[in-house]
Amino acid sequence: MTSATIKLENVTKTFDGKVVAVDGVTLDIAAGEFFSLLGPSGCGKTTSLRMIAGFEMPDSGRVHVGGQDITDVPVHRRDMGMVFQSYALFPHRTVAQNVAFGLRMRDVPKADIERRVAAALAQVALTGLEDRRPSQLSGGQQQRVALARALVIEPRVLLCDEPLGALDRKLRQQMQFELKELQRRLGVTLVFVTHDQEEALAMSDRIAVMNHGKVEQVGAPTEIYERPRTRFVADFIGEINLLEEGGQGRALRPEKIRLVTPAEARVSGTIETANFLGGATLYRVQAGGRTWLARETHAGERSPRGPGDPVGLAWNDTDVVALDA
Amino acid sequence: MSAAPKRRPFDAGSAAYLALNLLLVAFLLAPIAIVVVFALNPTPYISFPPVGVSLRWFQKFFAGSDFMNALALSLWVALCVLVLSVVIGGACALALARGRLPGRTFLTAFFMSPLMLPAILTGLALFQSYLLAGIGRPVWGLIMAHTLVAVPYVLRTTLAVLHNFDHRIEEAAAALGASPTRVFFEVTLPLIRPGVFAGGVFAFIVSFDQFPVSLFLVMPKNETLPVVLFNYMKFDLDGAIAAASMVSILLALSVVLALERLIGLKAYVKL
Amino acid sequence: MISRRSMLRTGASLAAAATVGTPAISHAQTKTLKITTWGGKWGDIMKATVLPVFEKEFKCTVSADQAFPFMPKLQASAKNDPLYDVFHTNSNEQWSALTEGLVMDKFTTKEVPNVADVHPWSVSDKIVGVAIFTSAIGLGYRTDKGLTPPKSWKDLADPKLAGARGGYLIPVNSLGQCHLMMLGKVYGKGLQDLDAAYKALEQLKPIKLVDFTGQMEKMLLSGEVSEGVIHDSGVYRYEGQNQPVDFASPSEGVMALEQVLNVPPGSKVKELAYAYIDYMLRPDVQKLLAEGVWYSPANKKVKLDAKYDAKLLTRPEKVATLIQPDWKWYNARKDDIDARVTKILKG
Ligand SMILES: Nc1ncnc2c1ncn2[C@@H]1O[C@H](COP(=O)(O)OP(=O)(O)OP(=O)(O)O)[C@@H](O)[C@H]1O
Ligand SMILES: [Mg+2]
Repeated sequence: MTSATIKLENVTKTFDGKVVAVDGVTLDIAAGEFFSLLGPSGCGKTTSLRMIAGFEMPDSGRVHVGGQDITDVPVHRRDMGMVFQSYALFPHRTVAQNVAFGLRMRDVPKADIERRVAAALAQVALTGLEDRRPSQLSGGQQQRVALARALVIEPRVLLCDEPLGALDRKLRQQMQFELKELQRRLGVTLVFVTHDQEEALAMSDRIAVMNHGKVEQVGAPTEIYERPRTRFVADFIGEINLLEEGGQGRALRPEKIRLVTPAEARVSGTIETANFLGGATLYRVQAGGRTWLARETHAGERSPRGPGDPVGLAWNDTDVVALDA
Repeated sequence: MSAAPKRRPFDAGSAAYLALNLLLVAFLLAPIAIVVVFALNPTPYISFPPVGVSLRWFQKFFAGSDFMNALALSLWVALCVLVLSVVIGGACALALARGRLPGRTFLTAFFMSPLMLPAILTGLALFQSYLLAGIGRPVWGLIMAHTLVAVPYVLRTTLAVLHNFDHRIEEAAAALGASPTRVFFEVTLPLIRPGVFAGGVFAFIVSFDQFPVSLFLVMPKNETLPVVLFNYMKFDLDGAIAAASMVSILLALSVVLALERLIGLKAYVKL
Repeated sequence: MISRRSMLRTGASLAAAATVGTPAISHAQTKTLKITTWGGKWGDIMKATVLPVFEKEFKCTVSADQAFPFMPKLQASAKNDPLYDVFHTNSNEQWSALTEGLVMDKFTTKEVPNVADVHPWSVSDKIVGVAIFTSAIGLGYRTDKGLTPPKSWKDLADPKLAGARGGYLIPVNSLGQCHLMMLGKVYGKGLQDLDAAYKALEQLKPIKLVDFTGQMEKMLLSGEVSEGVIHDSGVYRYEGQNQPVDFASPSEGVMALEQVLNVPPGSKVKELAYAYIDYMLRPDVQKLLAEGVWYSPANKKVKLDAKYDAKLLTRPEKVATLIQPDWKWYNARKDDIDARVTKILKG
């Protein structure tokens, strides 16, 4: 399967003349990359994706795919696969007919259609359900039909808008794994919209964190997590302790803080709450006039600390990240 | 209790519910039952208990050329109205639901307004405008008038379907390479069709049973069945009226059933 | 009731007569005469015989509207191009039409020569246009209930008839309106003594009321009503069918229910319209329709068969029992009367 690069060039989209949904976004997505758009609700992820798909026309800026400017190309000529959160399967058609739809639109010979539909369904492990209607499928099965339908046309680009959002946690994790596998196997460029940071961190090659229509930071998951560039990114991804030193914002991840005896401590205080998370415990500590978050992983025996116990906090200066203003 | 399938205990609530439903069904069917008795009873007036069973009123109805002409005209008009209101109502609904028209609520209310106006006024107003325009009262004028009051039914059922319609389904089709025209015929139309045709069935019945709008718009010798029946009733109040009602009911029912078979209105219920 | 065949035979002689009758109006050729006319048996005779013969004789086509309501349709059409050229309706409606300028007032022998031969009631001061027939409103009763045949309108108040007497809804039916006026005459100082009429109406409760004219005969036939207000034609039409019903003319007189023809002044074919009215007054046409639907003819020269002559108002002493209501007077107070009687009959 061929894959293509995607380039957004200073793209802006305003609704009803007042809501600026996407505000001067520039992105460079490599061919075959698993690229996530991450951000809180209303930050413009879907709108960005819909401009790549061609459902929305940018007010200004250009969209390039495979090096070609496709800003003015209508949706049905863009050759992209799209998976919606609601799946958007055709309720009046069977599973096989759903998957065959894109091939029919391309006037693929009948025999080829049958073969390719069977292959696509096999790929998502749905063989045997060809004649069911979407309403007769479980959520996960519907999700896979949507995926097969988008992939069977061998698109250069696969666009997914919160495709796993409607699934329960267990199924979701399984599908995350499968989708990632599939993308790797096919080598297709995948743009993935999610507001779930764990999902983005787990699956993506690179992530763009968006806020209020703007891209705050683009980078690999580790980079985003370890080296958040802005206060917003630091705060949005995981738990964080934000420090203020001489007008300069700094951030420190809870797991970088060690719980020590008061003697070794940089600050001392008392434990407010201790939340057991399974593999770790998250402490909320009152010290030096503020609240700290500290995560202690349980390598061996759990330390028997509880609310009210005195405790000291320590960290390495190299773990403190300086944030942009 | 253990082996037998679990049954809900019979309580006062469900008894009342059942009774209410039976009452409603009886309320709906009682007039039809009276019509049946009247149609089959040989006396020229409603007598209870009926003195016998005869088909003389049906014979009178089917032998009356006035009745038969009127029945044929009513059927023809109703079929035209069905087709026209499905096309017009369906198109209007799509435009209202999809087109980014300014004043959409106003337009919807405007298209629905024939339902608000007493039908007799619609008929009278059209009658006057036809006379004023000098076109007389042709059958197509009657068809247009019926269409006017039938369109809101199609509009309403189609809008209801479109209201619950997931626009993404069309976007998905477009993304898969379907041009706007193909999206319409492959996805939009099949999905709204049950709503459109449910409206079409209403339109047919509204036209077939239409009396107030027709009252002023029928021409001598070209009268629809309800008008003929009404005038017949003024001079001969006998079982032929009841027989005609029975035939109308059965005809309307068979059209509904035929459409159901053909297009599957059941799908509408499932949607 | 005449059989269909004899009706057609009379029609054939009518047609034969037409060829030697009055010369056709030459300039009426291919013209269309738009008329209103009744349905039912009347309409059948009109369509089978009367109208075709007229069309042939006057070389025109007649478009006969049998679909009510005629009056609003006439009102809605332009005065200078009215929907009808001949307006056939009951007398009360003719009076409302006159006040709105929708019809003409009177006809003379100049327009309608046959007016020379009519009974006085046909062109009396209670009539706008020309009345071509009348029915007599009196009392119908069941002959199988041991009732003495009613002799007076007062007999309807007999307590034995409580719940079994019948009348018409006064606001919507002119027979009910006639009955109310008659109550004024019988119980008070005259047809216009409304106070006496209201009081008498009160005494008639409980009473079964119908709105369509044809409904009362069904009530009598089915036995729901034993005695009730009705027009003679509504009872006589069952003659020879072994139905236990009969009609009685009360001694105080019967009320007239006239069939009136008139011409809207804006008609473009007035000559033809007059010719039609004249034609409807011809003895042969009058006889055919009178015997077909049991209407008393307006033309004095009509010789009905004995069976009809015995019952309809043909001889002078019977014609003298006919009382014509003053619709101009009644229509002017209709709203007040409606409100009052509705209140009386509701309680
Ligand atoms: N069709 C539209 N008309 C008007 N405003 C819109 C439209 N689509 C989106 N918006 C607005 O644009 C902004 C961005 O919307 P968008 O759907 O892109 O957000 P999102 O990041 O996908 O959010 P979510 O996570 O909730 O899906 C929001 O304020 C939204 O209300
Ligand atoms: Mg979104």
